[in-house]
Amino acid sequence: MAEVPARRAPPPPPSTATRVAAVWRRHARVYADSFVANATPAVLEPLFLLLAVGVGVGRYIDAEFNGLPYREFMAAGILGMTAVYTAAFESTHATFVRMRYQRAYDSMLNSPLTTRDVFVGEILWCASKGLFYTAIVATVLAVAGAISSPWALLAPVAGFVTALAFAGLGFLFTSFVTNITQFQFFFTAGLTPMVFFSGLMFPVQELPHGLREVAYATPMFHVIETFRLLVSGPSHASVPWAWACPFVVVALAVAFAAAGVRRMQSRLLR
Amino acid sequence: MVLTADAGFRRDLVRSPENGGVSASAAPPVVVLDGVEKRFGDLVAVGGVSLAIPRGTCYALLGPNGAGKSTLSRIIAGTAPRDGGSVSVFGMDPWREQVRVKTRLGVVAQEDGLDEELDVQHNLHVYGGFFGLRGPELHARAAALLAFMELGGREATRVVALSGGMRRRLAIARGLLNDPELLILDEPTTGLDPQVRHAIWAVLRRLRGEGLTILLTTHYMEEAAQLADVVGVLHRGRLVASDAPDALVRAHLPSHVVETEAQDVAAAPPEGAIAERYGDRLFVFHDDQETLLRWAARHASGRTLARATSLEDVFLKLTGKALDG
Repeated sequence: MAEVPARRAPPPPPSTATRVAAVWRRHARVYADSFVANATPAVLEPLFLLLAVGVGVGRYIDAEFNGLPYREFMAAGILGMTAVYTAAFESTHATFVRMRYQRAYDSMLNSPLTTRDVFVGEILWCASKGLFYTAIVATVLAVAGAISSPWALLAPVAGFVTALAFAGLGFLFTSFVTNITQFQFFFTAGLTPMVFFSGLMFPVQELPHGLREVAYATPMFHVIETFRLLVSGPSHASVPWAWACPFVVVALAVAFAAAGVRRMQSRLLR
Repeated sequence: MVLTADAGFRRDLVRSPENGGVSASAAPPVVVLDGVEKRFGDLVAVGGVSLAIPRGTCYALLGPNGAGKSTLSRIIAGTAPRDGGSVSVFGMDPWREQVRVKTRLGVVAQEDGLDEELDVQHNLHVYGGFFGLRGPELHARAAALLAFMELGGREATRVVALSGGMRRRLAIARGLLNDPELLILDEPTTGLDPQVRHAIWAVLRRLRGEGLTILLTTHYMEEAAQLADVVGVLHRGRLVASDAPDALVRAHLPSHVVETEAQDVAAAPPEGAIAERYGDRLFVFHDDQETLLRWAARHASGRTLARATSLEDVFLKLTGKALDG
């Protein structure tokens, strides 16, 4: 049997920032180990959408949307969708599997981590993934000629904030879930209509009264308008008050993230 | 003045020749529980447990599944709140001062809780990060612990590819990563082969020999007898007895026992014996082995076993319930 390592003085308790960063690094390490399998679908899906609808269907569309060719009009929505789906998946299925099947949080809590460290670290990881994927998709969109404004360099930041908001929403939903099949509801009834009817496929201001206001009320509309400000500029906004959308997204991110983390904390404590 | 005199008196007491200078028992206990309670709805999981674990000793919480062992160890480890009583670990409340307490603890959970998404060495490196450990110091310590637990050469193996015994050894290595002052093991050898179990016991005895304080929960009587300085018998959330394993046996039952089939015995047990009946088995205890064997030769029939009294018998007597039941 080998030698037992010598005893040292007790280490000082790690700071909150150290603990949260360690959680973030755990996710980054797992992610790095299977980078290709993880990143490929997340990046390919928006690109398929751009090719099939933006380029494929767009060829038959002569009209301009918000003063943009269809392909360019779709760019903002595709970026929004990328950030939203990245965060939503990571904070629902992946979180639930870690909690229920891998019991990963139980052993994290046996270390100096608190429940808050665990979920703050995790939501920051979701947001970081949002940033990363948005950057990749924005690069491809720029190469495809769907982006015209230099402000698009800020798109990854919008991706970070958007992902924070939707990871918060995902946590809120996950905290009530008892069976993994219930996530179907979150995606099919929650996210999919938001993605299709909040300004990705067509300008929402052309919806009839009533429906239009519903679309304006969704978080997704504000996300897509924020990306549109960045990638196409304010002259192509859907509504005159589009300038307010980035502020709404930031406010939602703060509110949803705080509420989601708090709910998951109480879910984890028995 | 009074305080100084008092402290001086205590120091004198500690250094007195009777106990050979400053002994382990002179230091404040690492763990002190006083009237700890925990309820889940109407179910009382822990109903007023008080105990103390001196530095450098091994305490075993012995009890069947559902006795409250895991709940109690989680309360001590700072991962579960309690509903009543007080808990002190290193002189701190482990629930209110979670981070400080947990920085100095090692915990090996029942389901080993290894990170199945990581390989062997990253299980240690990532976990070390949770303690604020990083860089070459962490990597060197992880490598030394893998060697200590005989997992050298497995660094890049994924956790799912490890055998049950290797997984448990890795979980123990991970529990030792922060050089803890208290190691808490929840059912450390449940579900393992006998050889693996003995290997893990050897490791734990060695750690204990180096002065590590250990708290373990188990439903294996032999595990408690092999490792523990003090065994606490937990029954329905209450500590029904606690003492050194031998003392526990001596205090509650005579030293020898004959087990036989109850329906075959009509005769009265020998004088001075204690007879206990559990199901269809009759247990006759006596301090004199000869008397017991003579009685057994005359009266017992069917499947009969003469042996030394064990913790298992004490457990049966105290709780009326078999340990594995």
